Amino acid sequence: MILNLIEMNGYGLFIWLSFSISILACSIVYYKTKKTLMKYEKEFAAEIEKLSNYDKQILLDNSKIANQVLATNNKTA
Amino acid sequence: MYKFLSHSNIFLFIEKILKFINSIFFVVLAIGLTFALIISPPDYLQSETVRIMYIHVPSAWIGLACYSTITVLSILNFIFKIKNLILVNKSIAPIGLLFTCLAIITGSLWGQPTWGTWWAWDARLTSMLVLLFFYIAYIVSLKTIKNKDLSTKISSIIIIVGSLNIPIIKYSVDWWNTLHQPASIKIDGTSSIHSSMMLPLMLMLLVLLLYSAMIFLMKYKTEIIRIKKKNIKRL
Repeated sequence: MILNLIEMNGYGLFIWLSFSISILACSIVYYKTKKTLMKYEKEFAAEIEKLSNYDKQILLDNSKIANQVLATNNKTA
Repeated sequence: MYKFLSHSNIFLFIEKILKFINSIFFVVLAIGLTFALIISPPDYLQSETVRIMYIHVPSAWIGLACYSTITVLSILNFIFKIKNLILVNKSIAPIGLLFTCLAIITGSLWGQPTWGTWWAWDARLTSMLVLLFFYIAYIVSLKTIKNKDLSTKISSIIIIVGSLNIPIIKYSVDWWNTLHQPASIKIDGTSSIHSSMMLPLMLMLLVLLLYSAMIFLMKYKTEIIRIKKKNIKRL
């Protein structure tokens, strides 16, 4: 049964190649997108940390995004 | 309404949706692949190669849908000057490019055993290749032109000009005598596909749509953070 699944009646190469290429391409795009997102989250969190305590407090009081990014960054750190 | 569409609210909403998609994605993927590769029967004419269709057809649909969405949003941006639409377009374009590439590659892998050739200068294939070039031109114009207004204008023009190709892709199989077969599923919902093959097709479409949503949301989130990061420097 497994051999039949691999051979696919002689068309296995084309079928498995189609699915493999698609999965590989999608994985690469996912990985790159995730990596870029994490890079920007880290940089943004670092910018927040650089602020004076006063500015930082104002930012955290007013920005849900800053709060969220800091929380995510603290989790992954 | 406008308050709901603020970056902060969108950002929090994205977080929730991403968590939900992440929680169901691999289950849907496993079910989709099981149906596409194991459970669905071979076609009486195409034999096992029909399985390539379960990835080729949804890829082509998503490639076209992304381009159509970008076109509509570019026109809306031209009229109403809504900055968010550019961010949406920037986030959708790579997904469209990826799936157009996959549609062409998997189509080629299906064409070799079925037609006996990897490629033919057939109207449908050629118009899909033209779509790919428009995607590349659009993304390159967004990335290389530093002046924001100019880049928005040029990229919108590229997209709108390229949109003329969309009806050509859709109706190429009806207008010309092509190697590519006519559509098996029509816009009005009528279909000539048996339910045993329709189910894996729809499941794989769902998988690719969930994947597209995931990439779109992550890219959009990145764009929002990029803007917020620029603003923080002004403090």
